[in-house]
Amino acid sequence: MHRSRSFGRAPLLTVGVGLALALSLGVVLLAGFRLATELNGSVVALQTASSLQTYPADISREIDTLRERLEVRTYAGRALDDLRGTTTRLDDGLADLARASAADPVALRAARDSWARFHRELDPVLAFSGQPYRDSDTAGSVLSTAGRAHFMHVRRAQLYAARHAQALREELGKVVDGLRSSASTAALRLRGLLLGGVLAALMLALLAVHLQIAKGREERSAREAQERTRDILRTVREGFFLLDSGHRIGPVWSDALRRMFGREDFAGLSFQDLLQDLVPPATLATALKYVNLLWGDRAHENLMKSINPLAQLEITTESERGGKETRYLQFDFHRVMGPKGVQHVLCAVGDITSSVLLARELQDSQSHASAQLDLLIGLTRTDPLQLGSFLDTADAGLRLVNAIMKEPARGDGEFRRKIDGLMRELHSLKGEAAALELTSVAERLHALEGLVEACASKAELSGADFLPVVLKLDELLAHLQGVKEIAGRLMLTREPQPLGESGSIGAALESLAAQLSREHGKPIRLELAGLAQVPAAYARTVKDCLIQLLRNAAVHGIEPTDQRAARGKNGTGLISAKFAATPNGYELVFEDDGAGIAADTLKRAAVRRQLISEEEAAAMDTRAAMALMFRPGLSTADGVSMDAGRGVGMDVVARGLQSIGGRIGVATHPGRFTRFRITLPAADRATGAVA
Amino acid sequence: MIRAQRTPSPADAGRRVYRLLIVDDSNIVRRRIERSQHFEDLQVVGTAGNGLDALEVFAATDPDVVTMDLTMPRMDGIECIGRMVELKPSVRILVISALADKATAVEAMERGANGFLNKPFSDRQLNEAIAELMRGA
Repeated sequence: MHRSRSFGRAPLLTVGVGLALALSLGVVLLAGFRLATELNGSVVALQTASSLQTYPADISREIDTLRERLEVRTYAGRALDDLRGTTTRLDDGLADLARASAADPVALRAARDSWARFHRELDPVLAFSGQPYRDSDTAGSVLSTAGRAHFMHVRRAQLYAARHAQALREELGKVVDGLRSSASTAALRLRGLLLGGVLAALMLALLAVHLQIAKGREERSAREAQERTRDILRTVREGFFLLDSGHRIGPVWSDALRRMFGREDFAGLSFQDLLQDLVPPATLATALKYVNLLWGDRAHENLMKSINPLAQLEITTESERGGKETRYLQFDFHRVMGPKGVQHVLCAVGDITSSVLLARELQDSQSHASAQLDLLIGLTRTDPLQLGSFLDTADAGLRLVNAIMKEPARGDGEFRRKIDGLMRELHSLKGEAAALELTSVAERLHALEGLVEACASKAELSGADFLPVVLKLDELLAHLQGVKEIAGRLMLTREPQPLGESGSIGAALESLAAQLSREHGKPIRLELAGLAQVPAAYARTVKDCLIQLLRNAAVHGIEPTDQRAARGKNGTGLISAKFAATPNGYELVFEDDGAGIAADTLKRAAVRRQLISEEEAAAMDTRAAMALMFRPGLSTADGVSMDAGRGVGMDVVARGLQSIGGRIGVATHPGRFTRFRITLPAADRATGAVA
Repeated sequence: MIRAQRTPSPADAGRRVYRLLIVDDSNIVRRRIERSQHFEDLQVVGTAGNGLDALEVFAATDPDVVTMDLTMPRMDGIECIGRMVELKPSVRILVISALADKATAVEAMERGANGFLNKPFSDRQLNEAIAELMRGA
């Protein structure tokens, strides 16, 4: 601002000075010309006057000659003619001097007056015409009467000349002096003027040089300013451009636009073309109307800002890595006012993707926190044993899901089978979570189910379709981990349950059986015996173990009603759990009258999971094959759960039992039953048991 | 419904009194707007519950300022704004609506509205918006 003002005044001053100098140079030249002319006149006049100076002497001499001629009576005509000529020249010369007006008028008048008087004396002489002589026989040639008069006049003129010729010469000398001095003055003045002219020209030249330098400096600073503007536009992270009244982008724009819009041709591009392919048509229409409104004065800046439809614009562009990328841009519009209202609209575009995502993350974490709180409240109402059991089941279930996901699949059919397995597993977990009022877990499972369903509805499946499922699954596992931690802390702070108290294990199993029956549409009858005798030290493990076994039996062991009918079985599946003291400790028998487990299926699965080789499998007897089901690698294998119908987490059960010195055995008959026999050593704290 | 006007004092002689028309299909909102303004130079000249009635009252009362709902039976606010501006280009219209999307706001502004206020609003917000409107009228 300051800069432009100082530059604004300087040229005006320079132009003024330049004009004045040129004008004075012109005046000097004009005056010089006039002076030169004047000088020229003076010089001519001086020459004339100088030549006139000799005339009085010439006239005197010519009169003398005339008189001599007359006296000796010789021819005097020529002498008179000479006198006449000289007189005329003196007349003309003086008239020229008077006309040239270069001479000092006083001196000139004195000379002319003096000459006029002289002339008057000469006039009778000059006026003579005819013959001055007459021939007489006696005296020869004598003066005639006219000749005598003429002679008289000549003598008078001679006398006058003798007395006044010198004076006239002096008068003329004064005129010459005057002319000389005026010529020399004029010459002096001319010299002065020329000096002035040279000075003025010099100053003009200096001024021109100064102007050139100033111009160079200004151009340099303009160039620098341009470069700085370019630097700013290149470096600034916002996209800047000006829109003209035709909604076209001006020639100056910041480089950030290139990154944001992935194009270069901004200059002259219309706002509509800029957004055309990036936003839905409705948004585009609103945006164009809005930009149009900016040119009017209908609303003030704040109101316009508040209704800006492009304050957070979601756009989809090609990412650098080739895929689609969703980003958020913020358009800010500022009216640039000119003398005739809005001149331009300055548009600033910011990439606010990270802040939008951050805001979302904040929101997510807020809802996560409140979910955590809900969860905490929910957990305090949940039976810890049931919760622990669910968490183990969920953990195992999700590991299974993970394994299903990792299982290589090629054809569409294999993918579909995968999806079926996932759906079943997720749905069952969801039901359990809901029954326990673990809303946050149930919601996540539901969302995961939704994603899998979305996969199922696709015409053709590929591995990439499962990517969102994997991501969501990771999130669910992390959440479950959180639940586990909270549950763990809750267990610590809670009063130990009155273990072994009648009903605590039994009630949990009854309610789970009822829930599973409902969910899977299988009528189930649960027979429980002796559970009240479980020593306090074993209560937790026994309960976890029974929940797991019950779940597997109900979900995978008991066949659907129609299958049971086909096998001639009672429509209601029978599951029993009997706990009893033995001489060496305790025995728990868990049995279902379901489909049983085929040893071959277990072997196949183990081979597929590379737990055993084909040869080992072939050599394996039924008993060894059955033991495979407690191998950790196998329990998460899809093959087992899907093909043989036997559930997950058997390794978890086995591990739990081992930790308290228990053992587990299994007997099964395909199509008829599965029976687990669990033996536990006598407990040290068996006193807690109710006899 | 129409607020009593003060007896004009000599000091008021040169003062302009703005005429306000309130258009909203909810009579609760209408009454709320009527009661909330504390401008001595604003006089409610009419109220209407839909766009068509609003145009009738508009023609009869020649208001300077209008508060306009958007979602109304018979004729919606957007169309009504356009008609009013056609009838009297100098009228100033404040849209008061629960429709919070910017496309609607832009549409209303394009038709000729001069201000936008989202429901629900506080008395202060309403007064500020009306004062802003009167400054332009």
